[in-house]
Amino acid sequence: MRTRPAVGDRLPDPPAVAPRPAEPILHVDMDAFYASVEVRRDPTLADRPVLVGGTGGRGVVASASYEARAYGVHSAMPMARARRLCPHAVVLPPDFAAYQRVSEELRAILLSATPLVEPLALDEAFLDVGGAVRLLGPPRGVGERLRRRIRRDLGLPASVGVAPNKFLAKLCSAKAKPDGLLHLRAPDVDGFLTPLGVGDLWGVGAQTAARLDRFGVRTVGDLRAVPSHVLARLVGPAASTQLARLARGDDPRPVVPHEPARGMSAEETFDHDVDDLSLLRRELLRLAEKVARRLRAAGVAARTVTCKLRYANFTTVSRSHTLGVPTDQATELHAEACELLDGLRLERVRVRLLGLGCTNLVPAGAARQLHLLGEDRWSRLDRAGDAVCERFGPAAVTRGALLDEATLSGDASATREQWRPRDDDPGRPRRP
Amino acid sequence: MKFRAERHEFADAAAWALRTVGTRVTLPALSGVRLEVSGDRLGLRSTDLEVASELSIPVQAERDGVALVPGRLLGDVVRSLPNAALSAEGDSERLRLQCGRARFDLRLMPADDFPAAPVIADDAAAAVMKAEEFARMVTQVVRAASTDDARPVLTGVQLEATAGSLTAAATDSYRLARRIVPWEQGAEMTVLVPRRALDEARRSAEQLGSEVRLVLEPNQATFEFGDRRLVTRLIEGRFPDFRQLVPEGHERRLEADRAELIEVVRRVSVVGEGSGSTTPVNLHLHPDSIDVSAGSGEVGQADESLPGTLSGEELQIAFNPRYLTDGLEVAGGERVVLEFRDELKPAVIRPGEPPATDDRDTASDFLYLLMPVRI
Repeated sequence: MRTRPAVGDRLPDPPAVAPRPAEPILHVDMDAFYASVEVRRDPTLADRPVLVGGTGGRGVVASASYEARAYGVHSAMPMARARRLCPHAVVLPPDFAAYQRVSEELRAILLSATPLVEPLALDEAFLDVGGAVRLLGPPRGVGERLRRRIRRDLGLPASVGVAPNKFLAKLCSAKAKPDGLLHLRAPDVDGFLTPLGVGDLWGVGAQTAARLDRFGVRTVGDLRAVPSHVLARLVGPAASTQLARLARGDDPRPVVPHEPARGMSAEETFDHDVDDLSLLRRELLRLAEKVARRLRAAGVAARTVTCKLRYANFTTVSRSHTLGVPTDQATELHAEACELLDGLRLERVRVRLLGLGCTNLVPAGAARQLHLLGEDRWSRLDRAGDAVCERFGPAAVTRGALLDEATLSGDASATREQWRPRDDDPGRPRRP
Repeated sequence: MKFRAERHEFADAAAWALRTVGTRVTLPALSGVRLEVSGDRLGLRSTDLEVASELSIPVQAERDGVALVPGRLLGDVVRSLPNAALSAEGDSERLRLQCGRARFDLRLMPADDFPAAPVIADDAAAAVMKAEEFARMVTQVVRAASTDDARPVLTGVQLEATAGSLTAAATDSYRLARRIVPWEQGAEMTVLVPRRALDEARRSAEQLGSEVRLVLEPNQATFEFGDRRLVTRLIEGRFPDFRQLVPEGHERRLEADRAELIEVVRRVSVVGEGSGSTTPVNLHLHPDSIDVSAGSGEVGQADESLPGTLSGEELQIAFNPRYLTDGLEVAGGERVVLEFRDELKPAVIRPGEPPATDDRDTASDFLYLLMPVRI
């Protein structure tokens, strides 16, 4: 595969032969991405603690600048708590459109190094530069040049991990933060992993970590010393194989250049638990509009609609239905989701979170079964609405049912998207 | 109760009643078949609250009475009965069946919980049809009804009785099937019958032959076959005004051999199957031939042509192959006529002109409207 050497300040001399390097994988991760973009937009924020996230009752921190992290603030922390820890922080609502634009520029830079770029989120990606050694030189050099170019072209800090595989590269970029590069050579892997806490391994959450801790297994070194049959009893056979492999620093997963979207979804965590079915239906309409707009923007239609609810006691249920004909229309998504909601026969149940998801995506433009009953009017209406919103913003055209008093009284902030816990974003696929 | 009956008559009656026994029901009594001896007849009833079946057979009755027998058990028992005379005796707790030397002692369910039999008004709109004709009418329209419960109105078949004719229509919003049959009675009535109920009625008509008496009422529809009847509740809601969907006139008219066109569409659309969403089948209409093709970049392509007579300009149009073959299959006749306006407007499938000797039913009584796929 040939790529133009656009990254380099200067091309290194091509070596006569270019064997695949031992550490071909890069993990590029922007530092405090949302906060950094906000600081770039308003330089007076530089060196001040900046929090980006939801400002509503249950909003959480989506991104915190390093100045804020010094106060113990971290992302996913409830905003209220973050403000208590760091009362003088500048709190900003997220502007996803801006982050998306920067993300696209970042992607272009990464793609200039290798086509093997696997985006993990808006602000991070894996790269396999093992095949570009002749062209670009050793991976570490590529990483350094990428960091310089991101700084120069985007004005943003990024950290890079260079390692034998994806798992280790991601660990390295985390250790390199902020604004650094860590190159983990293959012979040093054992020494690097041994002192790390087991929680640093992929797939080890708080529960597994606590369980291992009870048996005195705290570091990766401890974990390596546990015989495999004992580990299997501790965490289950499937997880134990995976853990043992990661503890050795072994991760066979390749860098997959582009993972096509398997689904799109939107969720809403309510400020207060909701038991009013009509309110839930209305919220589904809002979510349907949101998801349908994304489907149309991506040129896909969905065959399967999922409605997800989390009750006040954190029990989560979801119900799906597969349509005969794929759709990208909010009206249809909403009708399906309401049907699924009704199917749950909720009675006086308090709902904390409501979600609407679409999977089984197919290209929308390819072929479209037309309706007899004049239902294409919705599709024409949706498209006209998309065009208006494109020009005048997301609140320019909306459903009458979604207008609330705040909107009517001209309170613009009420129509603005609020950042909530786990509000899925198309640019933020689930982490592997 | 106490009675003697012919084994095969009893088994046949039980099997028929078992078809509408409730399967996933909240009211346990609905999973039973209600037997009632009265005079010299044994009546059997079952209902799943949507469709109810009722029939009676002649028996040698000794004592009147009622028994609610668990449906599955009754079915298993009658299927295994030996070929001999059957006698039954029971109280409200148990039913003892004796057939040859086999004896069954069945625990009963409380009969009081079973819903009352539907009452049919004397002055309801009713008419008699030949069973064969009824079955054909249902077959022709029922496939166009939706199987998606998200829009209940579309899961039904509308039966509209007017002076002189009965119009059956169904649509899933992608295609519409309509059939008109003569209807002797004057009373006007329009009902929306669940497709499952109508399909059950069709099966009974095919099985029993002879005649069907249709009774249409504002809250239910009844299909009577001699001593048997199916009563179904109706779907509430407004069926789409399908008449305004039927285009007036056409710009292109294609005539082809029906069986051949079905075969070609089936064969060619094989390449589009199994790819998640249905790949459309393309028809390219020339003056004397039809090119049929299908396929996708992922799977491959297929094409085949067959003779056909087109009047009007050439046209390229695509359809969901299943919707197309559904319509062609039920149109009947040796030849089939397809009428088009353009590639985005509904096409109309009609049976070809019947030969002059055939006066059984006139071709214009059946119509299948099909929306194309935009490609």
